[in-house]
Amino acid sequence: MESEILDKNVQFISTSGVYKTPFTLIIVLQLYVGLLITIFANLWYWNNLYYYFTNQIIFPFPINDSLIERVFFICLIPLNIYGCVFLFVFSIILFSIVIFKILDKLSPPKEGNFFRDSKEWKYVHRKFWTAYFPIWLARALPLPWADIFAYRFFGVRIGKNVVLYEGYVDPYFIEIGDFTMTSLNICIFSHLIYQDRLFIQKVKIGDACVVGPQTIVAPGTQMDDRAILGANSYTSIGQKLESDLIHVGTPVNIKLPLQSVEDSQEKATKIKETTIKKED
Amino acid sequence: MFQPASLKGDSPTPIDENVRKKFIPIYLLVIILSFVPVSILEYYIILYLWRTPFYLMFVLLFPLNLIILIYLLQFSATLISFLFLKTVNLIHTPKEGIFERNIKDKEYYFWNLRNIIKKWPLYVAASNPFPWFKNRFTLRFFGVKIGKHTLCDNTWISSEFVKIGKNVILGMNSTILTFGIEQDKFILKRILIEDGALIGAKCVLLPGTVVKKKAKLGAHSYSEYDFILKEDGLYRGHPAKIID
Repeated sequence: MESEILDKNVQFISTSGVYKTPFTLIIVLQLYVGLLITIFANLWYWNNLYYYFTNQIIFPFPINDSLIERVFFICLIPLNIYGCVFLFVFSIILFSIVIFKILDKLSPPKEGNFFRDSKEWKYVHRKFWTAYFPIWLARALPLPWADIFAYRFFGVRIGKNVVLYEGYVDPYFIEIGDFTMTSLNICIFSHLIYQDRLFIQKVKIGDACVVGPQTIVAPGTQMDDRAILGANSYTSIGQKLESDLIHVGTPVNIKLPLQSVEDSQEKATKIKETTIKKED
Repeated sequence: MFQPASLKGDSPTPIDENVRKKFIPIYLLVIILSFVPVSILEYYIILYLWRTPFYLMFVLLFPLNLIILIYLLQFSATLISFLFLKTVNLIHTPKEGIFERNIKDKEYYFWNLRNIIKKWPLYVAASNPFPWFKNRFTLRFFGVKIGKHTLCDNTWISSEFVKIGKNVILGMNSTILTFGIEQDKFILKRILIEDGALIGAKCVLLPGTVVKKKAKLGAHSYSEYDFILKEDGLYRGHPAKIID
């Protein structure tokens, strides 16, 4: 099994993708639930507003009709729009978490190597499609921590003070420690699809790590505390990145020591001097 | 897949500023015309459902209404820009080759014009919240051939001169470019990806690349101009080279 997993081919090809299944229609259900909850929560308020503007009553709710209340209700419109957006997104997130947990109960998440049309393959696809819409929405919200919030609910362990704004992260089998920073355009995969095989292994990122821009963290990667993954590099499956070192390469094969700011400045001036001498 | 915010936009096409200034009316016309069917449908829905016995029905049908509106906008945008594209192609048929990067060069001029026309539908398709009929559907209208069971919704694919076979997996965030700008030269070349190929995450295919059957390209690598990836070969690097 192990040798099959660490197949030479799979080592340096990190792709990700999930096929569309009929279960994808869950998105319509999620949209339905989210929209209906927001509409029915606001029906009473909108009914009032409609009455103020047109003098007609749509739904038989009690109506407050005095000048102060009119002004007050109309002033609340901007707040209501904000509230609706958040209610919509968070009700969808909560609803899809319920589905996600049910799917987890039906088929507990497992690491390993699975073939097409096995039970795990099916359930992994189902779980991905339940997580698709809420995370899309959380990303579309103008709040930077909304997607972290959603990921935490789905079971990704994310510590405090984590920077995780832009990038692709799988919704399970990922652990990120406190004070970790990730940069732009990263991909953290805990799954990999290769021909007709699906491969899942846990990704663990320690405390105070830095994941550089444009990097790919392949399934099975273990980053120790304070390890740094340099820009434009990717890790191979099951790689360990040691702490207090900078790791660079495609896939990672070079280790560089960490330097203080003074040290690196000294080095830079030295290099400058030598190049000036050479030019002379 | 839940793509990062950078992938919610359409694929990057550096449209020449001088051409863009000239054809802004056409770009706006595509947008306005694509909203016409949407507004007609919404008008009739409100006309027939916003009445005394049907208010609750309107509310209950609203989510379905929203889905239909999003897709109607995408389809009408695609159709209208498709019609514009056909007329432009009648005036000047697109060609491959190496051209001057200058508006006086006809190929370069019309390439820019085609991309202005295609921009709106591609943008709508890429920012569609639902996973069905996304980029692949729109790209097929514009003459990109994409086979069955191909994963390509979270990649940037140029909208012409691309042919992708069946059962291909294109990795997250990789880019397929059929145009290249090299200082004052402008290059347009076909890209062919055959059945069963596998392309890793964050790859870049430069114009003229041919990926033969079941060839594999490792993550984070790019292929040179006119590079051929042989059958069952395994490639990786900057630029891509064969491994054993």
